[in-house]
Amino acid sequence: MSGIKKEKINVSILRQDPSSGSEPEFRDYTVEVNEGARALDVLMAIRDNIDPSLSFRHCCGAGQCGSCAIKINGEPKLACMTAAADKMILEPLDLPVLKDLSVDLVSELSKMPGLVPCECEELPEKDEIDKIKPIRDCIECLCCVSVCPAMKVVDFAGPTRMRQEMRLALDPRDSRNRVPLTVDEGLFTCTTCHACYLSCPKDIEIPGKAIEKLRELANRQGLTLDRHKEVAELVRTTGRSVERSGKTFLEKVPEVIEPYGEVRAEVGFYVGCMYNMRVVQTCLDTIEVLKRNGIRVIVPKEQVCCGSPLIRTGQTQILDHLKKTNIDCFVKRGIDTVLTMCAGCGATLKKDYETPFEVIDINQLLVKYGIEPPEILNVKVTYHDPCHLLRGQGISEEPRELIRMVAKEFVEMPSICCGAGGGVRSGLPDEAKALGKNRGIEIEKTGCDVVVTSCPFCEFHIQESTDRPVKNINSLILEGYRKKDGNC
Amino acid sequence: MVAENIVECHVLVIGSGGAGTRAAIEAARYGDVVIMSRSVAGKGGCTPMAEGGFNAVMNPEDCSTLHAEDTLRGGAYLNDPELVDVLVSEAPERMKDLVNWGAVFDLTPEKKLAQRPFGGQRFNRTCYAGDRTGHEMMMTLIEHLRVENISILHEISAIELLKSGGKVCGAAGLDRNGNLVLIKADAVVLATGGAAQVYEVNTNCATGNGQGFALAYRAGAELIDMEMVQFHPTGAVHPYDARGRLITEAVRGEGGLLMNKDGERFMERYDPERKELSTRDIVSRSIATEILEGRGTGKGGVYLDVSHLDDRYIEEKLPLMLEQFLNFGVDIRKEPMEVAPTAHHFMGGVRIDTNGATTVDGLFACGEVTGGIHGANRLGGNSLADTQVFGKRAGESAGKSPVAEKEIDPVQVEAIRARLDGYLAGEKSPAEVRKQLKEIMWESAGIYRTEKGLKKALSGIVDLVGEKLKAKGRENLIDCCTVADMITTALLVVRGSILRPESRGANTRTDLDPCIKPEESPYGHTFQSLEKSGIEKAEGN
Repeated sequence: MSGIKKEKINVSILRQDPSSGSEPEFRDYTVEVNEGARALDVLMAIRDNIDPSLSFRHCCGAGQCGSCAIKINGEPKLACMTAAADKMILEPLDLPVLKDLSVDLVSELSKMPGLVPCECEELPEKDEIDKIKPIRDCIECLCCVSVCPAMKVVDFAGPTRMRQEMRLALDPRDSRNRVPLTVDEGLFTCTTCHACYLSCPKDIEIPGKAIEKLRELANRQGLTLDRHKEVAELVRTTGRSVERSGKTFLEKVPEVIEPYGEVRAEVGFYVGCMYNMRVVQTCLDTIEVLKRNGIRVIVPKEQVCCGSPLIRTGQTQILDHLKKTNIDCFVKRGIDTVLTMCAGCGATLKKDYETPFEVIDINQLLVKYGIEPPEILNVKVTYHDPCHLLRGQGISEEPRELIRMVAKEFVEMPSICCGAGGGVRSGLPDEAKALGKNRGIEIEKTGCDVVVTSCPFCEFHIQESTDRPVKNINSLILEGYRKKDGNC
Repeated sequence: MVAENIVECHVLVIGSGGAGTRAAIEAARYGDVVIMSRSVAGKGGCTPMAEGGFNAVMNPEDCSTLHAEDTLRGGAYLNDPELVDVLVSEAPERMKDLVNWGAVFDLTPEKKLAQRPFGGQRFNRTCYAGDRTGHEMMMTLIEHLRVENISILHEISAIELLKSGGKVCGAAGLDRNGNLVLIKADAVVLATGGAAQVYEVNTNCATGNGQGFALAYRAGAELIDMEMVQFHPTGAVHPYDARGRLITEAVRGEGGLLMNKDGERFMERYDPERKELSTRDIVSRSIATEILEGRGTGKGGVYLDVSHLDDRYIEEKLPLMLEQFLNFGVDIRKEPMEVAPTAHHFMGGVRIDTNGATTVDGLFACGEVTGGIHGANRLGGNSLADTQVFGKRAGESAGKSPVAEKEIDPVQVEAIRARLDGYLAGEKSPAEVRKQLKEIMWESAGIYRTEKGLKKALSGIVDLVGEKLKAKGRENLIDCCTVADMITTALLVVRGSILRPESRGANTRTDLDPCIKPEESPYGHTFQSLEKSGIEKAEGN
């Protein structure tokens, strides 16, 4: 054991003591730790050997107590379960700071509802236990609370309290009906952006397993928002989640769209309501890009809404019918790969459906097959990660790769929800606007000429909060092609 | 002038782990209760880290006599039989409490509590929630606390029990900033857990540093069997700084095999009948011997393998193990874990009667800080049961204490202040002293002990007592108090071991003949208090 290697770690820590009134400042430390050390070991080495006044919490050291959550290089992590890395930046979670890396956990935890046992002494059924277990692993580290965008703009009890509410709702031993209370606590303010899920050290899928399920319970108790009910009614009567305003994409194109040159691949195309009826031109731009790059596109005309707006808002009664119609239309044509270009539809087909075919997002497809290089456009571009693409489908690098092919300059901005999702834009427009406004501020900071995104909801919504044009990646690529053609 | 921050209540519970929260819930039936928690309540103590399970006789084919026999045999017959009787007869009721309060334990298809086999038991008696049983219990208790009217002082560390006229009447603590907080109470329940942190390699959380033992000792309480420290057979060996992290006994309970570097299933040599599911003292010694004799792995452990089990079975029964090892680059579905013994549990502690009363008026205790229940070696799954059974009893007894006018002794408070001021003017870094202490304990008071080694440890620790600990600022006062208490606890362990001239259970003396028939040992408990120390003669032997 004596042969254990030592390593030097440089680390930058945001130090602050709000009681002294001084401003937060980064301080750099260099410590020697044993090979394989965790971020927590680095903190302990600093406190033991350099500065005993460094404040941070830790207890179990095994990822079970949730005391040591901090931001490591900007991401919430448990310090005891994260390997130390040279040049790490350690900051407190985005919660009120007591000192240095210690934040106020108690104010939030003391609001967590407890279980009031009924007299029944009835054990839950096995299937109830199976439903509770995935949301029961919570270690109350509050990573999710620290990243929730809705909590920053509206009165929302937050992800882990909603998780706890669902846990109580599932348990027959708590006989209360707290669902109406959860609506008051902001059940419908969640944009289902999945930031909580991604930050959770225990991988608890709060949006899908708690928020959306609570919204289903709310629906059964007649508590669905009126605007959401209207959307559901529209889907029920027309098969579409948006009102018709002109000729749709499906009406404008043939069922089989042949590429200009050699056929390199063939895909079925699931278009989604927004691209079909609201943002039609973007969709047509994308078809041009696909034609130019050898992709044969088959567009079954009987496809309907994927059901995402219903799932997100807890109105799942006709969902099975929608799923069957959509799956059948591709299966009938023998299609083995279905292309989506709407981030929300893509996430829904991938996660809420069980499809006998592969579902591939447009960014994945274009990177997979490679595209003809467009002419570089003389613009500075920033990219807004759609929640349902980044966190819903784990797609981050592909859109950036495509943007770098066509834009002269690319600048990043933080990946935060724009406020359009989860039924918030339709149901709670003020909240959506507040979140959109925050996006507008971030966009301004980048100094970009164009905002690029890959989701019709984001595209539509962000445009209301910025004076820069908001474009789909494919529209930008097509501009690059047109410039190239014009130069020839 | 006594102090500015004085809180008054009927019952003060020190500690917010499984035993403390259970005691508080019970005591709250009799009057106002304050929990003093060193951590944010719910996050401290070792209960949330406990993985394997909770022993309770729930099956009509099992019986509490059998559970008692297993516990006594596992404890090398050093246990107090009366305490064992209480443990085994009330564990099922306490398990039911948890279930009624919403605990989500694993169930059989027949909707009964699922029970798994654990070491040293002749029946599948260990109830569980995957391999996060303690976390499940703690969440349940915290959920229940949140609907009770119990006030919680988060992040206040107890540094001294307050006494008035020979009776414990409260406690002094330090808040995050090092300010003194005084609490007056009719009764105090000590539920501060164990002290495996006095060893270099251990499973314990950061608060498992034995302050409760030191607090009780200074208040005049009698402690028994402090030499009985359980080394859990399976602690992680990698990463180096996280070595000792608990690998649950459930891994072996669910079919995990121990193998040396030659691929030999060596437990067949040490305990052919029970093999991996022998008692913890025997498995720990076997692993230590394999490593000492050169049959260990490159990282200084032995292999613990579940890769022969079905992937889905591992995912369902050992999800936390899977997650923790994946996090450090090992997929236990495909490759073996590497493990070595690690300091885990204090069987010894404050002497209590069946009501959780200590030898000092006004002071009750429950959980790992107490002694006598588990004897010389604890069975896996008995400590979670212990926290609930004796947590309830201690809480109830404290709750029933008479309400009286509460006085704080200003002389004692002045003495506490003087001690704290001394730290502000000290010289030596507590972190350095802590490190030295842990090394001494691991080296000479670990799995294998000799009289010579123990005496060397004793003189080394006595030297540390003389160090003038330094607090850089008030917020570091607690570091000094903690290290001072760790030293006191370590002394109790080493002196206890010197007092016991036999190899028995966890007290393995290589310079003495092994105790073949512990039930015939002439010795009983070792005992230590401010006034006396010694070893009892066994009754009837």
